[in-house]
Amino acid sequence: MSDAYLPILLIFGVSALNAVFMVALSHILNPRRPTPQKAMPYESGMIPLGDTRARFSVKFYLVAISFIVFDLEAVFLIPWAVEMRALGWSGFVAASIFVAVLTAGLVYEWKKGGLDWD
Amino acid sequence: MDLGNVASLSLFYPEIVLAGTILVLTILDLVVANKRAMAYLGLAGCLVALGATVDLYGTEPTLLFHRMVALDNFSLFFKVVTLAALVGAIWMSIGSGEVRQVHLGEYYIVLLTCGFGMFFMASANNLLMAYLGLELVSLTSYILTGMLPHNRRSAEAALKYLIYGGVASGTMIYGMSWVFGMAGSLDYATINAAMAEGGGNQIALFMAFVFILAGFGYKMAFAPFHMWSPDVYQGAPTPFTGFLSVASNAAGVAILIRFFYPAVSTLGQEGAWAFQALPALQWTDLLVALSIITMTWGNLSALNQRNVKRLLAYSGIAHAGYIMMGLVVLNNDGLNAMLFYVVVYLIMNLGAFLVVMIVANATGREDMDAYRGLAWRGAAFPAVCMMVFLASLTGLPPMAGFIGKLLLVAAIIEGQFYVLAVVAMINTVVSLYYYWRIVKTMFLDEPAPEDGPVAATASAMPLLGALMVLTIVLGVYWAPLLDYTTGSLGFFMP
Amino acid sequence: MLTEALTTSALLFVIGTFGVLVRRNAIIMFLCIELQLNAVNLALVAFSRYVGVEGQVFVFFVMTVAAAEAAVGLAIIISIFRHYRTVNVDNFNLLKW
Repeated sequence: MSDAYLPILLIFGVSALNAVFMVALSHILNPRRPTPQKAMPYESGMIPLGDTRARFSVKFYLVAISFIVFDLEAVFLIPWAVEMRALGWSGFVAASIFVAVLTAGLVYEWKKGGLDWD
Repeated sequence: MDLGNVASLSLFYPEIVLAGTILVLTILDLVVANKRAMAYLGLAGCLVALGATVDLYGTEPTLLFHRMVALDNFSLFFKVVTLAALVGAIWMSIGSGEVRQVHLGEYYIVLLTCGFGMFFMASANNLLMAYLGLELVSLTSYILTGMLPHNRRSAEAALKYLIYGGVASGTMIYGMSWVFGMAGSLDYATINAAMAEGGGNQIALFMAFVFILAGFGYKMAFAPFHMWSPDVYQGAPTPFTGFLSVASNAAGVAILIRFFYPAVSTLGQEGAWAFQALPALQWTDLLVALSIITMTWGNLSALNQRNVKRLLAYSGIAHAGYIMMGLVVLNNDGLNAMLFYVVVYLIMNLGAFLVVMIVANATGREDMDAYRGLAWRGAAFPAVCMMVFLASLTGLPPMAGFIGKLLLVAAIIEGQFYVLAVVAMINTVVSLYYYWRIVKTMFLDEPAPEDGPVAATASAMPLLGALMVLTIVLGVYWAPLLDYTTGSLGFFMP
Repeated sequence: MLTEALTTSALLFVIGTFGVLVRRNAIIMFLCIELQLNAVNLALVAFSRYVGVEGQVFVFFVMTVAAAEAAVGLAIIISIFRHYRTVNVDNFNLLKW
């Protein structure tokens, strides 16, 4: 089985070597004449203001928290959707109750102000 | 009996009442401005659920929801304990100054949800259900611990609890995954059958059980998984600390017994309730060692604590060690003593935390100095109650704690675990020192000039009185409780 | 195949446990816990190929609980960040670690 993947491994190896070789070669051969303009992030653009590693607003975390919770909804709905015809109406009712409970949670979050941006 | 989903609902009404209360509170939280009313509604919901649980008591052992949940007297007993702890905790919260600062609506919803999770810890008949119950309790506990606003201690305790809890539950399900792989099922009865045939690699199986024990032991604050307990006790709001100390411990005992008896032991002779540990798993020696380490570590660490909540946390670890003694003897007497001790511990420890809350309400402090001359500063009744609770926690004669400890020690002496019995005795003497240091501070020390009078929280008094009376009455007339625990040992055996 | 999957899972689990013990950044510690849970998921899926579908159902629930735990955990980490302006656990000194 592993024989079939040998060419892929070869390609990975060759491309990795190639990349390393190119970078190393340009590093060795190029002449270095540094000027302040060349050291800037955008050579002919605006001068950047402040640190780029700014902290994200805490509001993003709130959205992230909501996202991971509701994201998991799909994990439970997909198995039901795949076998929907076999499960019939009882499966539909169960899935509906599940979605209804999640909706109640969403309404609660909404009313509590968890979705307000400001 | 083995019921399906819809048929199970008719035997599931305590849970339905509790879940209904939680949902109603969630809706009310959005529309009602007066959050205090929610406490009373939660209290009413718990009392109705308590009535329903008592009503169900004595029904024929049944498996609900396709063998996921067991309904037997054992699970009903722990549901009663959980609901009693919930009622106590809500009552405490109504009078607590600390709780007044938090978002009251969410506080009660999450507190009730925590109790709801304990229901499933007590009645799980499947590793999946045990895991879900345990996680429901854990997640709600993290939230409640970190709920105090603008309080660094509370936030820090919550983070610590979260990280320890996450590692413990991760370790536990890793063990569960191995048990699943070797037994081929998550159902306790099937696991038991597979173990009895000697299925699986013995060493791997033993490791898996140690991992699972880590998760359960962490809920009970069991050495060496107890590190979270002192900090969480200290950081969390006091009514929740009281609830956590008794209910989390009880739920841990329940999940442990249900796992170690129906799942990995076999019933020796029918009727006598003698069990045999499966040859694949000689877990009794392991549990004896853990029990000795837990009680000794807890007691020795408690010796030089200045914060009373922290001291009670270490004493709680020691008590977890005492309770564990009952598990190793593999018979009915040991289990009976464990259940008895769980009830007694509930009463006396909740009482002790109630006094801590009263003092904290009046002085805003929890350290030993706040208790200086408490009896002479207008809080004679709480001081006397505290003395009763501490005497009971030590295990002194006319109190309920004495009977509890006596039953445990009697069971292990009968099972010929003499070393364990001697260690337990020595530990009791050690604990005498730190418990009575509090009593001495309350009664014999002169109040310093800066110690103001302590106004006792009026709403907490009836509960305090009731707990004190129960502590003394159960020390003298324990037969009804013992009958109740004996009757509660009806497992659903495979 | 089972051996390979279980070895990978054990390795992941050890990395996760080690990470929690060694790293001092609360969020990284939290990620290491998630790594432990994923190790468990891998073991469960590998086992369930041989012994039954129950393991896959367990995986769904582990994932759900992990998401809930992540939500609660992030909220707690944010609340502690507001107090300390850092998430390094060595700086949290009110309680003994």
